[in-house]
Amino acid sequence: WLASGSLFPLSCIHTSTSLQKFGKWEKKNWIVYPPQLPGEPRRPAEIYHCRREIKYSKDKMWYLAKLIKGMSIDQALAQLEFNDKKGAKVIKEVLLEAQEMAVRNHNVEFKSNLHIAESMTGRGRYVKRIRYHGKGMFGIMKIVRCHYFVKLVEGPPPPPEPPRTGFDQAKEYVQQLRSRTLVNTL
Amino acid sequence: VESVLRPAGAAPACLLVPVRTKKRFSVPEWARELSPEEKEKRLRSSGTVFPEERIERTFYLACTADIIDPYIPPEGDARLTSLSKDGLKQKMDKLKQTAVSQLALRKVKDHDPDFSTKTFPEKAQEIFIEAHNCLANFNKQKLHSLVTERCYPEMVRGNRYKTIRWSFVESLEPPRVVHVRCDSIVNRGNLYGQVTVRMHTRQILAIYDRFGRLMYGGEQVPKDVLEYVVFERYLVNPYGAWRMHGKIVPEWAPPKEPIVK
Repeated sequence: WLASGSLFPLSCIHTSTSLQKFGKWEKKNWIVYPPQLPGEPRRPAEIYHCRREIKYSKDKMWYLAKLIKGMSIDQALAQLEFNDKKGAKVIKEVLLEAQEMAVRNHNVEFKSNLHIAESMTGRGRYVKRIRYHGKGMFGIMKIVRCHYFVKLVEGPPPPPEPPRTGFDQAKEYVQQLRSRTLVNTL
Repeated sequence: VESVLRPAGAAPACLLVPVRTKKRFSVPEWARELSPEEKEKRLRSSGTVFPEERIERTFYLACTADIIDPYIPPEGDARLTSLSKDGLKQKMDKLKQTAVSQLALRKVKDHDPDFSTKTFPEKAQEIFIEAHNCLANFNKQKLHSLVTERCYPEMVRGNRYKTIRWSFVESLEPPRVVHVRCDSIVNRGNLYGQVTVRMHTRQILAIYDRFGRLMYGGEQVPKDVLEYVVFERYLVNPYGAWRMHGKIVPEWAPPKEPIVK
């Protein structure tokens, strides 16, 4: 056996904590589905990615998230590149990271074969500070941060829903009238 | 290392964890420009003696880092049949030809009298099958006892979010010991023994990725596999066990199938 120096009893404790707290969105990337039987249709890959505590307002970020929802990833990246908002740059980085992760870790074959199924914003941690006005007056300002969540799904983007026309509404109304029944009668 | 604060024989009853306290001191003006040697001279003259405190952490090497003197398998090992002349020559290639292996074998038998080249290959194959079953079932504790620390990350990396199905169909040839090496690291006499076993088997392997899609292999496709598996044991430890240490992949091995995406 190796003869060592002074043996310090109980010197084998791990003096370190885990890296960070994992939120629900990050944990969604760890679920493992059971193997599919050969007859089933191929399950499309889903990749969840998020960025926390972005220095931007969640309401302003929402406009960009709503813009991207439902697009294919190439179209989304193109739109964000030429958008003037500050959040566009951040979302573009998030999408590129998610694409990288998909190809490397989640067995996705083509990096353009992804579309954005969900993209949401959430409120981050707000901090209150004093804003100094004239004449000794002050206001309490909130330093606002947001989170951004995105879910990429493999496959072409789903076709957009056709808008509801007056004809559809009329058809439904007639259908409702026809499905009426007489109650408490013979 | 003896010191005033820690005399030999007195063990601390509680665990002393060095904690950094708030350091608040101001250096007076006359002391700020002194070089380190002058500071030492002042300290020594004032009489304060600081014993050398070295908090050492012991570590225990349970396995070597690499395969010592890897066995070079002869070309076309499993391809030639025993009917041709070359095939017969390969069959005659026994362990006894290499002198270094014989020496190492003798050293291993000194430390472990139960070792023999006739019985060991069967045990080795059992360990191999058990280890792969543990890998398929994610039984990490058992896997650690069957596989050395060097081999464990090689087997397990990248598999956390994947489902692996492995089964052993049959052994086409009886396994046999091919290569024995014995070596010591750090100190002389700290012996580790490594034994290479040649196995020709039929196995079924299927790997599914995170979403249950087939990534590699097939469930109904048995494949013939020729492997040279290295087993290692810490000989000086009387409670040591033979564990899987690694595989030797020859250069003439057929290329692997690409991953299905």
